[in-house]
Amino acid sequence: MSFRVTIEPLGETIDVEVGQTILDAALRAGIWLPYACNHGLCGTCKVNILEGEISHNHASAFALMDVERDENMTLACCATVDSDVVVEAEVDEEPDAEGYVIEDFLGIVARVEQLTPTIKGVWIDVDGDGVAFQAGQYINLSIGDMKHPRAFSIASPPSSANLIELNIRLVDGGEGTAYLHNQLSVGDQLSFAAPLGRFFVRKSALEPIIFLAGGSGLSSPKSMILDLLEAGDSREITLLYGARNQDELYYFDLFSGLARDHANFTYLVSLSDAADDQSWEGARGLIHDLATTHFENGFAGHKASLCGPPPMIDACITTLMRGRLFEEHIFMESFLTAADALEPARRSALFKKF
Amino acid sequence: MVKAKRLGLKERYSLMTRGLDWETTYQPMDQVFPYDKYEGIKILDWDKWEDPFRLTMESYWKYQSEKERKLYAILDAFQQNNGQLNISDARYMSAVKLWLQGITPLEYAAHRGFAHAGRAFRGAGARVACQMQSIDELRHAQTQLHAFSHYNKFFNGMHGFAHIRDRAWYLSIPKSFFEDAMSAGPFEFVTSISFAFEYVLTNLLFMPFVSGAAYNGDMATTTFGFSAQSDESRHMTLGLEVVKFMLEQHEDNVPIVQAWLDKWFWRGYRLLGLVGTMMDYMLPKKVMSWKEAWEIYWEGNGIALFHDLNRYGIRLPKYHEVATKEKTRVTHELWATLYQYGNALGLHTWVPEDEELDWMSEKYGELFDTMYRPRLLFMREQENAGKRYFNNRLPMVCQVCQIPVFFTEPDDPQKICVRIVEWADTKHHCCSDGCADIFNREPEKFVQSLIPPQQIYRGEAGGARDIFEYAEWLHLKKDVDTGEYRGSPDHKNWEAWRSEKPTPQTNSDEAA
Repeated sequence: MSFRVTIEPLGETIDVEVGQTILDAALRAGIWLPYACNHGLCGTCKVNILEGEISHNHASAFALMDVERDENMTLACCATVDSDVVVEAEVDEEPDAEGYVIEDFLGIVARVEQLTPTIKGVWIDVDGDGVAFQAGQYINLSIGDMKHPRAFSIASPPSSANLIELNIRLVDGGEGTAYLHNQLSVGDQLSFAAPLGRFFVRKSALEPIIFLAGGSGLSSPKSMILDLLEAGDSREITLLYGARNQDELYYFDLFSGLARDHANFTYLVSLSDAADDQSWEGARGLIHDLATTHFENGFAGHKASLCGPPPMIDACITTLMRGRLFEEHIFMESFLTAADALEPARRSALFKKF
Repeated sequence: MVKAKRLGLKERYSLMTRGLDWETTYQPMDQVFPYDKYEGIKILDWDKWEDPFRLTMESYWKYQSEKERKLYAILDAFQQNNGQLNISDARYMSAVKLWLQGITPLEYAAHRGFAHAGRAFRGAGARVACQMQSIDELRHAQTQLHAFSHYNKFFNGMHGFAHIRDRAWYLSIPKSFFEDAMSAGPFEFVTSISFAFEYVLTNLLFMPFVSGAAYNGDMATTTFGFSAQSDESRHMTLGLEVVKFMLEQHEDNVPIVQAWLDKWFWRGYRLLGLVGTMMDYMLPKKVMSWKEAWEIYWEGNGIALFHDLNRYGIRLPKYHEVATKEKTRVTHELWATLYQYGNALGLHTWVPEDEELDWMSEKYGELFDTMYRPRLLFMREQENAGKRYFNNRLPMVCQVCQIPVFFTEPDDPQKICVRIVEWADTKHHCCSDGCADIFNREPEKFVQSLIPPQQIYRGEAGGARDIFEYAEWLHLKKDVDTGEYRGSPDHKNWEAWRSEKPTPQTNSDEAA
């Protein structure tokens, strides 16, 4: 059994199991709340309870004072919920969050296309008003009778509310993606929940944007770039895309065309595994190196959005920071796989997002 | 669905505190804040400082006063209830004495240091953070003294902590650590204390003492620990914030911060050798070994932190690998040293019991069984033969960390490590490459260190001519406050109290 917990000022709502702490549920849902000791002694994770009933459990009397209990404060690392709850935490607001409510949808597969040997494009037709989302968000797709839904970023722009495009990479040993690659066909019904995630363009910030993407991580940047260009956004936009080889390179013509038509859009590609490929005339190597070469004066004064496999993200963060662009200007999707949630990587409290 | 717009906590705080600071016009800002530039740290925009506390003075007083009420209620109950009888063994008191003599004065020094830093920064956020921490540290010094004061009625060696703080040769180890930090600029001070000590190494200080207290039945110290831990999280956040702030403000800050991290990692590690020795030897009921603590808190958490810092271009601190090599030896080497200089210590030393030696074999393995167990057994044998060994001369101590020069070479546990550094035609001795590097980086600073054994032999200790006169000058009574634990008044009292469990006589009763 679970309750709904809304986290202000984000306005995000998450499910919290009976007996699960608010902090645990938030972190698993990809929402960062301040915390340190994680067992009720330090008080870093103090939040206000605006509505609903909670239990303080073993919060230390020195870390959560009586006056604070009287004022409806609690420690998120100890508190469990006894009803639906609204909490207010010390997190930054997102002025650009449009706050679409998550809904369940039923769609029909309209088209399936092999984009590369490992990536399939799937287009889902949705009736009525379609799906309202912000470019960069993702959906939770239910697959067959599998217990947990799988997360996929939306590759189409929000203007195409009735036709949702997904780019699905075949994951080694992945049950869900194997099904989608081998059994899904046009006319099948698919149900999904959308929109999810906090990875979207900070439109109110006016800095030029650098997109760094690898593999099927192109989905969100594609949606975001199409959205920006459709709206006539005039800031400098650079997409650096990394693929293994020419076979794995997709939407090359689409982005090359956009770069021709829009003076403020630059498209750069680097292939990491094309040493012997004489027909490739572009850059070779990893995209964080390409980024360093291209932005010879460093990255300060930009916003960066990252999407791709973890080693690529990791290398790009270091490259951006060495080039003087720091955490508050770097954005990335943080949907955790079930495995991440079970065993969080060893990391320090230095960063909130990385 | 339309959501009502509400102000977030962060936004409310910033609205409430915005504009409370101003740019001075009668005097240039550089003269009002003369100390925050000469270290070379470049700050382009103080408004980028993320206030890590977000606490108003009003709520600060409210929280702290409630904490005090709770702490003192528990301390009262502890005293009324003769809580001193519930500790595991009177040998445990050596740990408390070490804390009282060595660490509590550091809390007070931290109070002074943060008061100074809280005046020095031109950014209001940093000033307020340091000022609040300054008050916290004063409270910690005070509540520790109150928590420990009850023990002073029943155990020896605690009566003159303030008197010996500036006079005892071994207390110059913690004292010089803090005075090095306090005599640096404000950014180095906050990096050394808030980041290197309170963030990177804090678990190695706090966990052994507070868990050690809990394991050994010391309710007074345990309760103090809980009441302080809720402040410590704020202090750690300040440490993280200041380091990120410096690294993000200007790339020229990166090498300066790196040099400070190299220095303060090594200084902090050397100081913590005393804590490790307490964990392995002074706690009758052991929490974990120094080696295990080092593996969890440094090799695990510390390295993970530096892995993240690497994104800023910061590498692991120099000589971290030496510290890791020393993890199986440092506490055994230090205990043997304290043991032999026991006539000039305000706490007792002893040879551990057999089951403790077995615990050490289990934790430290072959090196302990081949090097340290035989030595401890020899010391016990000598003691049983009526020849308890004391070295009644004072040791040569390191010019930087002020620990006796007795540690061994990183790759040879049988060879004493000595590094000789030279400045202005004078030679100085250091205990390690780490300390020698620190000396060589700022020789003008470290040649000024007052080295206790030299000063004492020069007659600066009230003209004391030997170690016994020196101990008298410290107001330490031979074989009561100092020396061997076995057969000491602390030992005898403890045995008597534990066998009869009467209401114990206090020292003041005896005096009357």
